[in-house]
Amino acid sequence: MKIKSRSGIMMMSMFVIIAVSALFVALPEGINAQQEDKVFVTHSGAVVKTTGEILDPLYTSATVEFDPMEYLRDFNYGRVSQLADGTTLREYTLVARDDEIMEVSPGIFYNVWSYNGTVPGPTIRATEGDIVRIKFINHGEKEHTIHFHGIHPAGMDGVFEPVGGNGGQFVYEFEAGPVGVHPYHCHVMPLEEHIVHGLYGVFIVDPKEKRPAADEMVMVLNGLDTDFDTENNFYAANTIPFYYQHHPIQINTNELIRIYVVNMVEFDPINNFHLHGNLYKYYPTGTDIVPSFYTDMITLSQTERGIMEFEYKYPGKYLFHAHKVEFSEKGWVGIFMVNENKEGIESEGYGS
Amino acid sequence: MEVSNKSSKVKLIASGVIPFVFLILLVAYIFGPGSELLDLGVPLPEISMEKVDFLNSEIQVTVRNTGPIPVEIAMADINDRIQPAAVEPDRYLERYETALVRIPFEWNEAEPYRIGLTIEDGTRFEKEIEAAAPALEPSFELLGFFAIIGTYVGIIPVMIGLLWLPFIRRISRQKYHFFLALTAGLLLFLGIDSIEEALEVSNESLSGSFNGVLLVATVLILSFLGLYYTGEKLVSRAKSSRITKPVAIALMISIGIGLHNFGEGLAIGAAVGLGSIAFSTFLIIGFALHNTTEGIAIAAPLSREKKVIGKLVAMGLIAGAPAIFGAWIGGFVYSPFTSVVFLAIGAGAIFQVILTILKWIREQGDKNLSSAAVASGFAIGMVIMYLTSILV
Repeated sequence: MKIKSRSGIMMMSMFVIIAVSALFVALPEGINAQQEDKVFVTHSGAVVKTTGEILDPLYTSATVEFDPMEYLRDFNYGRVSQLADGTTLREYTLVARDDEIMEVSPGIFYNVWSYNGTVPGPTIRATEGDIVRIKFINHGEKEHTIHFHGIHPAGMDGVFEPVGGNGGQFVYEFEAGPVGVHPYHCHVMPLEEHIVHGLYGVFIVDPKEKRPAADEMVMVLNGLDTDFDTENNFYAANTIPFYYQHHPIQINTNELIRIYVVNMVEFDPINNFHLHGNLYKYYPTGTDIVPSFYTDMITLSQTERGIMEFEYKYPGKYLFHAHKVEFSEKGWVGIFMVNENKEGIESEGYGS
Repeated sequence: MEVSNKSSKVKLIASGVIPFVFLILLVAYIFGPGSELLDLGVPLPEISMEKVDFLNSEIQVTVRNTGPIPVEIAMADINDRIQPAAVEPDRYLERYETALVRIPFEWNEAEPYRIGLTIEDGTRFEKEIEAAAPALEPSFELLGFFAIIGTYVGIIPVMIGLLWLPFIRRISRQKYHFFLALTAGLLLFLGIDSIEEALEVSNESLSGSFNGVLLVATVLILSFLGLYYTGEKLVSRAKSSRITKPVAIALMISIGIGLHNFGEGLAIGAAVGLGSIAFSTFLIIGFALHNTTEGIAIAAPLSREKKVIGKLVAMGLIAGAPAIFGAWIGGFVYSPFTSVVFLAIGAGAIFQVILTILKWIREQGDKNLSSAAVASGFAIGMVIMYLTSILV
């Protein structure tokens, strides 16, 4: 009888232990009150004090691996020489990789597939009629190519000539044309996968009679599907979400700004570009030298692109963003910091 | 003699230990030199948002790492729009560790929200809230409100059910057995209901890694065994003390129902806490109606006793009052894990009570359960519960 009741107690205490430990697992842990409070202010102005860590999609220091500010005004004119008939030859080298991991937003790591280590790849620039020779080396594990939008022979189209990984090579050669701003991208199937991972860039063909001098920049509107569910988790101009919002682009009043804008977003049917406090002249695809629109808002389908030109009259901060607001709230938003133009500062021109 | 005794003891221990040693060697081999045999695939991270609270200009998410590998919380969003946020105590979560994500956001009452959290590999997890409602701040007023609701749902209906006692008392033995069987039928329904509820909660808010179905089964069986054992002890002790067997059985029924009502209280508290006003009203009316029948369950075995008023009140309280505690816990410290555990304990308790009642009918009656009274009682009990459940 005694033994029985003891085992009863044991049984009950076992039961209690299980119940209590279940509660222990289930209830959230307390917060350590000894830690110092941190304060942060949200976009809407709310002030939050926390003992924990701050999650913010803004890069606070220059730790970003890919610098969108450097990419913005970086044009690759190639190695220039003259052919026997006097035609300009421009030679470029593009190396594809598909094994790199890049921190695309603070704390978020994504497997990028890249040309020359960046997403987007380098902005290649030539003048109409130049001979463009691109040495393509594939250091990826998968097959890749480069398909240029524009006019070129069939064998240079980057579709039926897949270049094997681990050192495969191919040389694309064609005459630059037509005038305008064009994308280039990998065209290996499944195409969507190769584009979404980052194998694209911009190819600018300047007219023989140069456009007027301007502060020029490239903006590739892109999205990142970081969890591969065929929906974008981030949107950006030049890959890093919110980057130009936290690091405004410095421009000057009364100076011509020219933006080569290319929409490379996948999964979503459209993207757009809205400018605050101003309107811009818009040249669709850049193939004409007369603007088609004077507007503050254009809508672009996949790989649609164009050239925008504007000047700011009043100094200060101006927003630019997708007016498909979902995209801007997921990173595709930036600021122009318009500074008073001091006399004597010459507009940055371009040329080889 | 002594020596051989000793050596046989050594042999006994050795025979117990040797297989164990081989087992350890096997495990060591599989994880050591034989590890290339194992290909467990790619372990995928997983987090569960267990609780979402809407505070003044802030949404708070209690998140748990329920995957096989550690994760880092990297970003928060509301309705798929990225928001700066704070994570306490830090963004690194070991397995089963929890963190509180605080997202400043001017939310609107009664609107649906989708809360998203993204981890370091870019995977986004989402939880949908049907209607935002301010989180309950513990106050004496609210404590009192829940106590009143608990009383309406738990104590009063059970007491009303107990009023059937004089009726049950006057009827024949056959009809009495009918009512006992009816009780068992009612309870069986409640038991299944509890299991269903537990599985629903685990499906909605508990991650797969808790093995919801197995958690429910394990807790249910443990509670069944624990209560069955103590119940039998209580009944067997009843023989030698002042407690009679019917009282002991009625007491066990009260405890079982009490645990079940605790679960019901949790459900109501959680519904109020989550802002499902319509749903919580529904639950309150439904449970109140439902619980009247629980009074019958307690009254039936006691009907052959005398001087039971005091005992009845006590048992009514044991069965009904836990609804109040449930409502408090559900409203203020809701966690899906504890809800699942409590609901499963309740189900185990109910099955234990059913077994006790059936055993008692068998002892009292003609040593079988196949009488028309028992069969029809059981069936009608189930049907009554089903019909009242439709009203819920």
